[in-house]
Amino acid sequence: MGTKEKKISPDGAGKKTILGNPAKNLPAAEEYERLAREHTELSGKYATAVRYIRDKIDQLLTVMGTSALKPEELDDKTLIETDPIGIISSSFVQILKHLHKTNAALKMKNREIKAIFDSAGTGVLVIDRDMKILEYNTRLREQFFPDKVDINGLPCHALICNLKDPLSACPFRKVFETGESVHMKGWVLHNRHYDIVGTPLKDNVGEVTGAVILYMDITDHVRTEAALRQSEEKYRDLFENANDLIQSIGPDGSILYVNQAWLETLEYSREEVPDISIFDIIHPDCDECGADFKSVVFGERAGRVETVFITKTGKRILVEGNISTVFDSGRLIGTRGIFRDITERKKAEEVLASEREQLAVTLRCIGDGVITTDTAGNIVLMNKVSEALTGWSQGEARGRPISEVFRLVSEDSGAARENPVDVTLKTGRIMNIPDRTVLVSRTGVSRIIADSVAPIIDRTSNIIGTVLVFRDITEKRYIEEKLLQSGKIESLGILAGGIAHDFNNLLNAIMGNIDLALAELDGRDQLYETLTRAEKAALRAKDLTQQLLTFSKGGAPIKKTASITELIRESSDFAVRGSNAQCIFNLPEDLWKVEIDMGQMSQVINNIVLNAVSAMPDGGQIVISAVNMLLEQDRPELKQGRYVKIAIQDTGTGIPKEHLGRIFEPYFTTKHTGSGLGLATTYSIIQRHDGLIEVESEVGKGTTFFLYLPAAPGDRAPEEQSSEPRAPVKGWGRVLLMDDNEMVSYAAGEMLKRIGYDVVIAAEGNEALTAYKTANESGRRFDAVILDLTIPAGMGGKETMKKLLDYDPEVKAIVSSGYSSDAMMANYREYGFSGVLTKPYQMKDLREVLHQIISGEK
Amino acid sequence: MKVIEFDIRGQICPSTLLTALKEINEYSDQLVDGTVRLAFRTDNRDAVGTIPESATNMGYSVTVTRGDGYYLIEIDGLEP
Repeated sequence: MGTKEKKISPDGAGKKTILGNPAKNLPAAEEYERLAREHTELSGKYATAVRYIRDKIDQLLTVMGTSALKPEELDDKTLIETDPIGIISSSFVQILKHLHKTNAALKMKNREIKAIFDSAGTGVLVIDRDMKILEYNTRLREQFFPDKVDINGLPCHALICNLKDPLSACPFRKVFETGESVHMKGWVLHNRHYDIVGTPLKDNVGEVTGAVILYMDITDHVRTEAALRQSEEKYRDLFENANDLIQSIGPDGSILYVNQAWLETLEYSREEVPDISIFDIIHPDCDECGADFKSVVFGERAGRVETVFITKTGKRILVEGNISTVFDSGRLIGTRGIFRDITERKKAEEVLASEREQLAVTLRCIGDGVITTDTAGNIVLMNKVSEALTGWSQGEARGRPISEVFRLVSEDSGAARENPVDVTLKTGRIMNIPDRTVLVSRTGVSRIIADSVAPIIDRTSNIIGTVLVFRDITEKRYIEEKLLQSGKIESLGILAGGIAHDFNNLLNAIMGNIDLALAELDGRDQLYETLTRAEKAALRAKDLTQQLLTFSKGGAPIKKTASITELIRESSDFAVRGSNAQCIFNLPEDLWKVEIDMGQMSQVINNIVLNAVSAMPDGGQIVISAVNMLLEQDRPELKQGRYVKIAIQDTGTGIPKEHLGRIFEPYFTTKHTGSGLGLATTYSIIQRHDGLIEVESEVGKGTTFFLYLPAAPGDRAPEEQSSEPRAPVKGWGRVLLMDDNEMVSYAAGEMLKRIGYDVVIAAEGNEALTAYKTANESGRRFDAVILDLTIPAGMGGKETMKKLLDYDPEVKAIVSSGYSSDAMMANYREYGFSGVLTKPYQMKDLREVLHQIISGEK
Repeated sequence: MKVIEFDIRGQICPSTLLTALKEINEYSDQLVDGTVRLAFRTDNRDAVGTIPESATNMGYSVTVTRGDGYYLIEIDGLEP
């Protein structure tokens, strides 16, 4: 040993014991002897001790794994000095320390492993070669025998696999046979699925003494996989059977996958899909579609798109859908799109939009005002008429409460009316706008309105708003009032007709008697003058009743062929009488005769001249002229032929243009006192004479009326109006006079006698018939019969005439009536009469008509 | 780290082992705190078995390398 030598001394305690004996009392020989004995004894003990030490050292060295000390290697003395036991024991201390430390670590590891073993989610089983359970973890117990307390030593196949012949059937026997791991997948144990791994446990010499078997419960995984498979099948089913077009497109536009609907709609087979790209199905006309797709691919946009696809055969397919981008680990791998073919829907939408447009246009064009509101009564829509009537535009009114825009007040009191929209919204019923309701517009204009509000009801019978339909009836109301007025006038006309009839009878008596009185007088007699004035007044009264009749009935004119010259003069003069106006006549002598109702035509001239007079309050000249005219086709409204054109021109205020078109309308007047009937009657009379009336006017300069009257056929020369001699020219013959009015029959009878006729008077038809028959049978036949048309309490002229004709077709009869407007008076010949006498008539009228029919002039 | 080398060539077992154990015991504290490494140069083949095993049992880290006509057994620190 290369270390410094150390002397190993014997045990100090033993030495002390030996040397400590009291030897000083012993003799030297004895002492030597004793010392020799003691030395021998001690040497023997020493040798024994060294031997013991050497044994123990060898024992320790053997434990340390080395060979024993040889005596020649280390003498006793060196051995003692070297102290191998001390060395080895110090080493043992270190070894033990290390072992303690290692043991502690191992225990910790063991605990850790146990914890892992028990907490593992996988069942772990340790078995020996006889398949007996050596160890198992908590999980395994839970998996296979939760209720068992201790199963160590029991065979695993009895508890887990329940195999009859485990030694041949158990696959994990191979672990023992081959010494290699065995992996079994998808085993079903106790209704659960397992992946099982068996691993051999080997001893130090590599013998397989047991096996560790891991039971990994994959039931959830299996079930999840099954559910996933099921789900995938479900989605595949949905995908393939969806009516929508589903596609997945790669970033380069290649088509990754599409569904059946996509293939069918775009007319491709599944085999063709790999050879086409998205750009083959985007319609080339759709400029923005390709760019749109790119923007989706670059992630610039996604979501709803509407685009146009083109099929394999070139058909346009309008689609709408959603595109989304698909990323994998942040990298774009394509887009997914679901589209719906909306070609048909678009068409339907277009039709709908067109219908809607048409509806909107129709609504805008409806002649009535239409407003719709929502359920809160706020305006949604207004048409043009309602805009005009309310003064609000649709834009301004939309969203405002109806009561703000559609303000209603009572026509009578002016008080605000409850808005019918509000009522309809409350009750759900159709509401009529109450009578006499006035709509006050935004600008304060009032209009009388009518009509109703109805609820707008959807398919589920819910009220979703109201529709208000109304019309401006202001004009209608005005017309109704005028019609009412017209009705009153008509009644008045009938009354006037009756009065005129009675007046004519009375006038007939008055004028007949005056006539008779005048016939008795000398023309120089003062009374003659007086009676002549009375006669003139009576004639004026006759004209008045004539006007009254014409006004009341406007009846068919009783036309006679006559010169109009005198009529114009007389009527004009009569009209200007008492005014500052003066008539200037320009009437040629060769003016053609016309077929006119003298009374009605007189009224025409009278009305026009009266208008001229009132147009010249400060007086002036009225120029009345007439010319003969031959009309070809220059006046389409008139038949071709000969006409007399009369012009009546004043220099008055003139008629404003806006009034010019309306002056012939009934009740149109600008005069405070006018009835509005004058020119309307004039127009009506001229029309019934197949003529035409026109007007030209200039404000401030004057007005000219033009009358076109058809000329009478035949003689073109004007007929000289013969002035009838007042003195009667005696007639002869017998006349039967039928009139229910005694005053008339008396005066007429007297006049007839005065002009030389024998007269028999009858009060009504039967009496007249009897008298006629009697006279006829007695040989004293009547030469003429005068029949009053209207006999209130008996047979009138018409029926009497019929019976007279039945009796004697040769009878000569004259019809007489105060109703000059009666059609029979105008067309007397159609009823078998030979002449007509319009009441009131004078002696000259009687003489003339009787002379004509008895002497056969007519 | 200080390396203390002992040349025990010529010694045989168990002397080699006892010598090594004595030095390991002597420097155990420095070995544990890592300030010393002991290197034994031996030509005894048995020592290559006994010394490393004993040192390892004591918890030390041992490497044995073969030199020209000797083995170098290096002992240091405690095993991790």
